[in-house]
Amino acid sequence: MTAAIFNLNHPANTVHWHFFFMSVSNVVVIVLMVVVFAGAILLPFPHRGGHGDST
Amino acid sequence: MSTPARSWTARARERAVGALPPDKLLPDRQPSYMSSWIYIFGVLSLTSLIVVIGSGSILSLKGPGWWHFTGIGHFFNSIHLWSVELFFFFMVIHLWGKYWMAAWRGGRAKVWMTGAVTFVVAIPCALTGYVSQQNFDAQWISTQAKDAFNAVGIGSFFNLTNFGQMYSYHVLLLPMAVVGLVVAHILLVRKHGIVPPFALADRLGNEPVERDVAAEPILPPTPTEHGSVHTPDSGNGVASEPDRVPAEGTS
Repeated sequence: MTAAIFNLNHPANTVHWHFFFMSVSNVVVIVLMVVVFAGAILLPFPHRGGHGDST
Repeated sequence: MSTPARSWTARARERAVGALPPDKLLPDRQPSYMSSWIYIFGVLSLTSLIVVIGSGSILSLKGPGWWHFTGIGHFFNSIHLWSVELFFFFMVIHLWGKYWMAAWRGGRAKVWMTGAVTFVVAIPCALTGYVSQQNFDAQWISTQAKDAFNAVGIGSFFNLTNFGQMYSYHVLLLPMAVVGLVVAHILLVRKHGIVPPFALADRLGNEPVERDVAAEPILPPTPTEHGSVHTPDSGNGVASEPDRVPAEGTS
């Protein structure tokens, strides 16, 4: 069996703040989704050459 | 020349072509407002789903001994896992984007509903995959999920610790549901077109969904042309546009 890149032989790390309780990996994925979502809205989409729109 | 046949095949064909003529089913132009990154997450979800189905088909052909104990089996197992992760990742962003666009506007309620139901059905599809791995991870997840199902009162319908039942759900019943819903979702998107931004919808007076927006470049918002007050149901106010309404003339 090949070893995992990270040492997974321990209980999951968690973020615990008042009622909020979630594994670090899930928090990372959710933050990443928010970042990608914001980027999809804010980053300009490359246009093909030729006649560009006015907006 | 004979009159058109009224068999069910003819009627089905006429309805299908009326609802989705070939240029709508496979369009070669899209509205200019589609030039935004937020519009790519639907097709990214679809691409991930294709990889999910393809890698899952290979896993089902080879079996647990292959995916646990061979290098290539590990590889395809990982492809299957990570394509599922990406499928949900992209689908959630697609869902967020469409929610904040209110993508059910303009008669697109069914488009929204099929998408939302696909997301809901995909969750047990993934869960049954996790409990079908045939390892300690699956054993742990199935016993935890069993307790959750019992707690919400549906434990008598599903046995999470029954590998055969879970595997059948995972490789046949739930994928069929997901793929069927996705096909319906895509056909509905083709029929109604992608939802325009709020500003453009206001400018057009919230007009009917059959409008051929593909041919129209987006224009800067100059709000005085049709009056500055927008009412949600002022729909057919822009009468100059020859909308492509299906010729069936349903009452």
